[in-house]
Amino acid sequence: MLAFKKKQRIAVAWAQDTNTIGAIHKAVNKGFVEAIMIGRSAEIINTCKDEGIDEKLFSIIDANNENKAVLEAVRLAKQGDADIVMKGLVGTEKFLKAVMDKENGLMLPDAVLSYVGALEIPAYHKLLFITDPAVIPFPDLDQKISMALYAIEMARKFGVKKPKIALIGASEKMSKNFENYVDYAIMCKMADRGQIKNCIMDGPLDLFLACDKKSIEIKGVETPVNGDADILLFPSLESCNPFYKGLMLFANGELAGLIRGTEKPVIVMSRSESEKSKYFCIALSCLMA
Amino acid sequence: MVLKNLNDLKRIVEGAPRKKLILAAAQDQLSLGAVVRAWKDNIIEPILIGDKEGIQNICVSNNYDIAGLMIIHEPDTEMAVEMAVRMVSSKQADILMKGKVGSSTLLKCVLNKEWGLRTGNLLSHFALFEVETYHKVIAVTDVAMNIAPNLQDKIAIVNNSVACLNKLGYTMPKVAVLGAVEMVNENMQATLDAALLSKMNQRDQIKNCIIDGPLAFDNAVSLESAQQKGIRSEVAGDTDLLLMPDIEVGNVLYKSLVFFAKAKVASIILGALVPIVLTSRSDSEQAKFDSILLSAASSK
Repeated sequence: MLAFKKKQRIAVAWAQDTNTIGAIHKAVNKGFVEAIMIGRSAEIINTCKDEGIDEKLFSIIDANNENKAVLEAVRLAKQGDADIVMKGLVGTEKFLKAVMDKENGLMLPDAVLSYVGALEIPAYHKLLFITDPAVIPFPDLDQKISMALYAIEMARKFGVKKPKIALIGASEKMSKNFENYVDYAIMCKMADRGQIKNCIMDGPLDLFLACDKKSIEIKGVETPVNGDADILLFPSLESCNPFYKGLMLFANGELAGLIRGTEKPVIVMSRSESEKSKYFCIALSCLMA
Repeated sequence: MVLKNLNDLKRIVEGAPRKKLILAAAQDQLSLGAVVRAWKDNIIEPILIGDKEGIQNICVSNNYDIAGLMIIHEPDTEMAVEMAVRMVSSKQADILMKGKVGSSTLLKCVLNKEWGLRTGNLLSHFALFEVETYHKVIAVTDVAMNIAPNLQDKIAIVNNSVACLNKLGYTMPKVAVLGAVEMVNENMQATLDAALLSKMNQRDQIKNCIIDGPLAFDNAVSLESAQQKGIRSEVAGDTDLLLMPDIEVGNVLYKSLVFFAKAKVASIILGALVPIVLTSRSDSEQAKFDSILLSAASSK
């Protein structure tokens, strides 16, 4: 387990669901967060009682609808009363709208909002960081560069000094007819020239060449990533999202992820995700805070 | 092997069977002078096509000894060029050279679909410079034919040039894709094309060479400059071939090397069935001679 410098205050918007409360409780118990639960206070207390959790461990702020809860969570972070914002039982769209609000939201000026996830897969020999399964549908070159930088930053927080980043395509062959590959070639040269730092980058690479040394040998492709990728950058949300969900469903993968581009870490998870995944997300956000 | 100067080209042609060169519309003094000299030096076996009387007059007044040289009389310029191209396309010669005829007339014949010299490749200009201040000869393309090559054209131009350099003995020529800066800049198409060309080279989609770019002119030809900028590159400072972003840059570089740096230059057109010597009227006899030498050295 990574060491945390100090306790992080986490504001949870619309916090009355079992998985969220369970995950938060675990983090509070471990001693690395203080929780501010925002939602229908009666329901929060009831859920705690049902789960045998002492509700006095949390600060509870009453809010009678989703919107109010979200706005309150963002406001707390904005004015410095919370270090992390977490989405509870509210829809992602509503939640992100408040986060991205130009006046009252948490966006850094001119930043690209994107999502980086850390995947633990039993079949892979290390953590695999992925981007972007949740926010940018079809990233352009500038957005891809931001995605890469966020992922590199996260991998480095996990102690990978010079992460190997594979820019994922269907093949390793360069073609100007694939716009994403054109972006990839440009990014690789930027990495060559030090315009993107602290990484070893190559792409386009297919998933095998990115993560499987045997495929490298068979295909005889020379790549510095060499089947040992730390980060996979996907060309679209639609390719990244099923990748991680497939691994969670069929390969016992666990994902922890975070929104990047905000003043403070923002935790967005699918409402259906497990308590364990939510707990990992909380831990990850504390690491990045 | 690396060529230190244009004279080194002679080592390539020495001992090899002499190449047959056809000079089309041969009644041109500087061209004749260069051809006769190359013939006397055993570099080529010339065939002259053009106005026989005009050719003989030039040779007499310039003391060119052409006894024993094959001359085909065809006073009409366009007919002379067509005959020359037809002879080359039917494998009766290895090199085509332009005499007293406009480039467009000659190229029109070269590109003729029935009897021209098309191979399906793009035609491109290839110039080889000997500059005192560089440690070896440096090839530059394209300074004269392709105006604003797109990525596909650039790939073809590199392939033409690399094939030529391979024939000159460079097994893995170092290709610098020139830009105004060595950084990738989204607003400069040349730098983006350079990134793509580098990646295609890494993936073996452009073979038999090492490509890096974008490189600014200084880091392409000066190791010191590249090191100062912290550029890690196999090509920087040791470039064999400079790929120009467009004809304006190429042409100005070419002329500034010749006029200010007193460079010697040899140039040919690549991408046709055979190398074509297509020097401009203002080129010196020496430049024409060196171009003939280059065409012979790069001819199969």
